[in-house]
Amino acid sequence: MMNIGEEKADSVVIVAIEGRVDGLTAPELENRISEIVDRGDAQVLLDCAGMTYVSSAGLRIFLTGARKCQQNGGNLMICSLQPDCKSVIETSGFHTVIDCHDTREAALAAAS
Amino acid sequence: MLTFVDEILLLMLDDEKGSFLPIRESTMGYVLAGAVLMDLAFANRIDTDPNQLMVLDKTPIGHSPHDRILENITSSDETKDTKAWIETISREAGEIREQSLTSLVDTGILESQEEKFLWVFRARRYPTIDGRAEREVKLRITGVLLSDETPDPKDVAIICLADACNILRDVFSDREINRIRPRIDQIRKLDLIGREVSGAIQEIEQAIMAAMTHAHH
Repeated sequence: MMNIGEEKADSVVIVAIEGRVDGLTAPELENRISEIVDRGDAQVLLDCAGMTYVSSAGLRIFLTGARKCQQNGGNLMICSLQPDCKSVIETSGFHTVIDCHDTREAALAAAS
Repeated sequence: MLTFVDEILLLMLDDEKGSFLPIRESTMGYVLAGAVLMDLAFANRIDTDPNQLMVLDKTPIGHSPHDRILENITSSDETKDTKAWIETISREAGEIREQSLTSLVDTGILESQEEKFLWVFRARRYPTIDGRAEREVKLRITGVLLSDETPDPKDVAIICLADACNILRDVFSDREINRIRPRIDQIRKLDLIGREVSGAIQEIEQAIMAAMTHAHH
C-alpha cells in the first residue's frame, strides 16, 4: 500500500510518499514522476518521511525518475529517509547518484 | 528483444572464434543465474530486498528456462534470499546457456559450427554473423561508464553482470579499466541482484585462493 501526495515549492515539485515502494506500487510512482516531468517540472523532490519500505523495484524507479529529470534539464532529490530505508539507499550506493538530504528544508535550500 | 541472458552470453563469446572467453564455470553459472533473475525482475515477475526474493506475478514471460525457474520459485515452500536463489539456479546454467545460444542462432545473430579436435572430440563454436546486437550492448556500457549521467537500470544490470565475470576487459583496455574503476564500482552496487552475483563469485574465489594457499604450505 502506498499513497502519494504532491505540492509545489517554487520550482520544485514535492512528492510525499507514504507506505511501501515495492514491485506492486512502484509503477504508480513511476507514472506520477513521468507525468510531473512531462508537464515541464523537472525539479522533483521525493519526500520519504512516510516511506516505510523500499525494494529493488522501488530503487529502480528512483533511478529511472532521476534519469528522466536529468534528461529534461532538472534533478531528482530524496529527503527525510527513515533509518531502514536510508540504510538500503546507502548500502546500494544510490546516495552517490541521487542527491539525498536529511530534511525537506535542506533539499529545498540546495535546490534554490 | 534480447534477454539479459542473451546479452551477457554475446559479451562472453569471442566474436571471431565463436568460443567462450576464459571464464570459470562457477562464475558463468552465477552470472547466468543472476541474468535470469534480472530478466524476471525487469518483467515485474519478482522483486527483491536484502532479505528475500518475492514473486509478484507468476505469468510466464515466454522464455522457457525463465518460466520454469519462475515456476520453481513460485512453488517453493521456503522463502529464500536472492543469493540462495542464485546458487540454486546456477546448477541449471548449462541448460540456460544452451537455450539462449539456440535462440541467438535462430534469430540469425550467431551461427552454430561443430568442429572436431584430436580427431575424436567435438566442440561447438558460435561465431557472430550479425554483430549489431552486441555492438549496441557495448555502446550502452561505454555510454554509462564514460559519463557521469544517471544510468538506466537496464544498463546498470548488464554492467554488473559483465564486471562480475571480468569481461569488461574485452570492451575497454586495461588502462581504461583502471581509469574508470571508480565509476564501475559505483554502478555495480546499484543493482541488488548484480551485487549478490558479485558477492557469490567473490566467496568462491576466496575459497579457491584459501585452498591453494593451504595446499602450498
